[in-house]
Amino acid sequence: MWRVTIKGMLAHKLRLVLTALAIVLGVTFISGTYVLTDTLNNTFTVLFGNVYQHVDFQVRGVAVFSSDAPGGGAVRKPVPESLLKTVQSVPGVAVAEGNVSGYAQYVTPQGTAVSTGGAPTLGVSFDPNDELSALRLVQGTAPTTPHDVVMDEGTASKYHFHVGERVRILLAGPPETFTITGIAQFGTANNLAGATLAAFTLPVAQHLFGDVGRLDAINVRAAPGANRATVERDIAAALPKGVEVVTGQTVVNEQASAVSKALSFFSVALLVFAFISLFVGAFTIFNTFTITVGQRTRELALLRIVGASRRQVFWAVLGEAAIVGLLASLIGLGLGVLAAIGLEALLSGFGITLPTGPVVFELRTVLVAMLVGVGVTLVAAVSPARRAVRIAPVAALADHETSQGVSLRRRFVLGSLFAIVGVAVLAIGLTKPAIQLVGVGAVFVFVGVAQLAPAVARPMASVLGRPLARLLGASGKLGRENSMRSPRRTAQTASALMIGLALISAVSVFGASLSKSATASIDDAISADLIITATSAGAGGFSNSVPQVASAVPGVGAFSTVFSGEFEFQRSLVSVTGISPASVNRTLILRMSTGSPGALATGGILIDTTTANSDHLAVGDVVPVKFAETGASTMRIGGIYEANALLGSFLVGDAFFLTHYQVPLPIAVLLRTNGSPVVEQRVKAALHGYPNLKIQTRAQFEQSQRAQVNQLLGLIYALLALAVLIALIGIVNTLMLSVFERTREIGLLRAVGMKRRQVRVMIRTESVILAVFGAVIGIVVGTCLGVALSWSLRQQGITDVVVPIRSLVIFLFLSGLLGLGAASWPARRAAKLDVLTAIATE
Amino acid sequence: MTLTDHVADGAVPSAPAAAHAVDLAKTYGTGAATVHALDGITVAFERGRFTAVMGPSGSGKSTLMHCMAGLDPPTSGRTFVGDQDISVLNDAGLTQLRRDRIGFVFQSFNLVPTLTARENITLPADLAGKKVDKAWCDYLVGELGIADRMSHRPSEMSGGQQQRVACARALINRPELIFADEPTGNLDSSASAEMLAFLQRSVKEFSQSIVMVTHDPRGAAFADRVVFLADGRVVGELQEPTADSVLEQMRRMGT
Repeated sequence: MWRVTIKGMLAHKLRLVLTALAIVLGVTFISGTYVLTDTLNNTFTVLFGNVYQHVDFQVRGVAVFSSDAPGGGAVRKPVPESLLKTVQSVPGVAVAEGNVSGYAQYVTPQGTAVSTGGAPTLGVSFDPNDELSALRLVQGTAPTTPHDVVMDEGTASKYHFHVGERVRILLAGPPETFTITGIAQFGTANNLAGATLAAFTLPVAQHLFGDVGRLDAINVRAAPGANRATVERDIAAALPKGVEVVTGQTVVNEQASAVSKALSFFSVALLVFAFISLFVGAFTIFNTFTITVGQRTRELALLRIVGASRRQVFWAVLGEAAIVGLLASLIGLGLGVLAAIGLEALLSGFGITLPTGPVVFELRTVLVAMLVGVGVTLVAAVSPARRAVRIAPVAALADHETSQGVSLRRRFVLGSLFAIVGVAVLAIGLTKPAIQLVGVGAVFVFVGVAQLAPAVARPMASVLGRPLARLLGASGKLGRENSMRSPRRTAQTASALMIGLALISAVSVFGASLSKSATASIDDAISADLIITATSAGAGGFSNSVPQVASAVPGVGAFSTVFSGEFEFQRSLVSVTGISPASVNRTLILRMSTGSPGALATGGILIDTTTANSDHLAVGDVVPVKFAETGASTMRIGGIYEANALLGSFLVGDAFFLTHYQVPLPIAVLLRTNGSPVVEQRVKAALHGYPNLKIQTRAQFEQSQRAQVNQLLGLIYALLALAVLIALIGIVNTLMLSVFERTREIGLLRAVGMKRRQVRVMIRTESVILAVFGAVIGIVVGTCLGVALSWSLRQQGITDVVVPIRSLVIFLFLSGLLGLGAASWPARRAAKLDVLTAIATE
Repeated sequence: MTLTDHVADGAVPSAPAAAHAVDLAKTYGTGAATVHALDGITVAFERGRFTAVMGPSGSGKSTLMHCMAGLDPPTSGRTFVGDQDISVLNDAGLTQLRRDRIGFVFQSFNLVPTLTARENITLPADLAGKKVDKAWCDYLVGELGIADRMSHRPSEMSGGQQQRVACARALINRPELIFADEPTGNLDSSASAEMLAFLQRSVKEFSQSIVMVTHDPRGAAFADRVVFLADGRVVGELQEPTADSVLEQMRRMGT
């Protein structure tokens, strides 16, 4: 029996390739994601291991709380510098050096700020001890004077800086100019995953980062031969409360796990798209197998006659699926490794220089890729295999092919059931909110709609095809009829595209709503005329001198400096915004539902209505809070304002903020002017020395927020395009099989005078109808999904639900074009058929 | 040999037949569109003999064969292969029956296009998980004169060669009974004659039981016995027929 399966597959290589392609692409995505993140993970672990190779212990503040945000680690309080002496005097300690870090951003010779695309722009203290230092000088010397800096090799080579040159650096205070005395690597890498580094002497760094008399951590090297456990115990004994000592290995593990946390966020996002692709792939495989089982009815019945049992027929079909899945998964696995290497190169092309390391190919990658690839193929083929089992032996002898398959009635019931369960799960998922349930619900809805689609396939194909038939004459009419004659096949083929389009439409609706809401929340929250923000998100803010400089410009009426930080509110870690209470009424719009913004001046906290409702809080309530710097205390709720995505959920006064955070950087400055463009020009001129700033009018700020949303949408569209591509391969495959099936019929049409061109038009018409049919259903389903998603997030700031009709129409139009493209090969093949042989085909 | 001597309608021989049917009826469709393909047939096919079934189109010859081979479930009545009542068998039982006890030859050859001649011949044995009797296979292939075609695909062979491959396939598991449905329908006259001569020889030389549906009087003349059907009933029978006697009989029945 295996022989029949394998020989049959070899005889239809093209079908094999087209079927396998869907799985190959999905598995490539999965294995590529795994290999890339594993490789990066390993590389960073090795890198941190190198960097902390000679650090036996680290003395540091006990974590006050830890952040779950990607890349965020524990929040610690600095230790007093006097502790350094204490540690150095512990017996068995050979070397102990303190370090600090903070914000320092280079300015290029052209006067622009060096931006990292999200990675931090770090300033650090240069540790003169080679062994304890994370930095390795590759050129020049260590900094010695207050005007010296050591630059990371990544920045130096990208912007052509050399030892001895002068470089301007933006700092928490006013910008300063330094001389480059050396160029260093971070461990063995040119920089730390795209972050830039500026290293100063310890006193300079302490001064620049507002850490005079304090250290972030103390690195310790034990004396050779000293008993480590004893040394650690002795250090611990010498430390005051709130300070701890840990081994170097612990630090390495923590850093590595922070990286792997960030990477896993990234890999989960990619894997979601990989599974979407495979889900769509499952539909095309299901469709291909259903059609081929139909076409092989006679052959399968013949096998039954000569003694094949039902079980053997079932396993013959499933065996074919297993082989397709296995081959496709293997190829996908290989391509995934290549894709990972390619992606890594792509990332460094974006300036994210990654440390080089060996490609990590874990057993888990192989197992998941193979299991998922083969599993999806097998699951998709089960129903066609069961259909094959139901073929009666006598079908081999019948002239007409008996129609098998689930009755439309049963399908309708089943489809409705799936769709209803899906909608219910989706609704639960959206209200909870639980993203996994949303996913499961969506899968059910898609399967249900795919089951129901045949019911509308014939009338819809008829309607969609009418204009084409009118436009294209006889061949268009035939194409339309071909698309109508097997509603089940039409619907199944279109289903794959339906899913792709549904997701794209849902994202489009959500994106439009997000964009509109973001704009609306700006109008709702900000009354300032000019908004100053940092160009690079990685910097975490800009110099503290900016507000003074900007507010001194003639024509600037009122200004507010905005800070942002993390704190614990009722034992959960959240963001808080700090703002000066004096001018808040002139730069912000706070719609108070109760209380007054005046509470900001007296150390009270304002919360938004969403938090007040969910936590059952009212004005006057006293709640427990905790800050990294100052520890646990309580705050009184001074007012409740209407929720606004831009403002966040918690507001405190700037005076309060500055006493609870160590040298915070402003994230925005809001200026109220007389509205004249002259003032805008003057502000820009005054802040010329800060190239890391964006100075925007409210309209420009809105525009840039929209651009950010659109950028994100673009990325998601690109990832979903893979699913659409797989759906198109499905259409190509179906059309090829149809052409093969209708060889005789096409020969007949040619014999009675159809031109080759007309054959092509006929096939293309069918394809366009298929594609547009799938797109219409997909867009309808997707729009509903998108509206539901946006509506369910109304508390989270999606205040406006927008259906972007124009985008959706464009998607529909593009789908038609893609359908036309998918037909080109099958159409050419059909047109090339030789008339006589076609007619002679049985 | 006159018609009256041998009209054996309803007569079941006392010796166990290779296959027999009792009151076999098969109807297709419902209501006004009902077709009685078989209208209560009782017939037996003896062991070690070559029986031809003849009749005009629509007389029920193929339906009779399909029902007796367990390919198509009868509407009523019972069918036996040897002593086995096959109307009580489920799908697994019928599959076993086809594997072990019945061979088939069809008009349109019905070979698996992707397999070579040898693979097609050994297919029933492979499916049954049996070891192919190589000596038997070589003997059949030699007798059929297709030894040099063994590695060819069906599309690379003539109709006659394909049908001989189908014949070898039918015989490979040494079935008790072979059902041949118009085996010469798609062959030219010389290929037909060779095919029929082979079937005849297999009956004589190794006592193979064969039931052949045909509408070619010359083909029927190769058989030991001819059963005539019309409108789903047995309407006549001839022993040791010749082409002329078959034609004569057909003329009398007005077909």
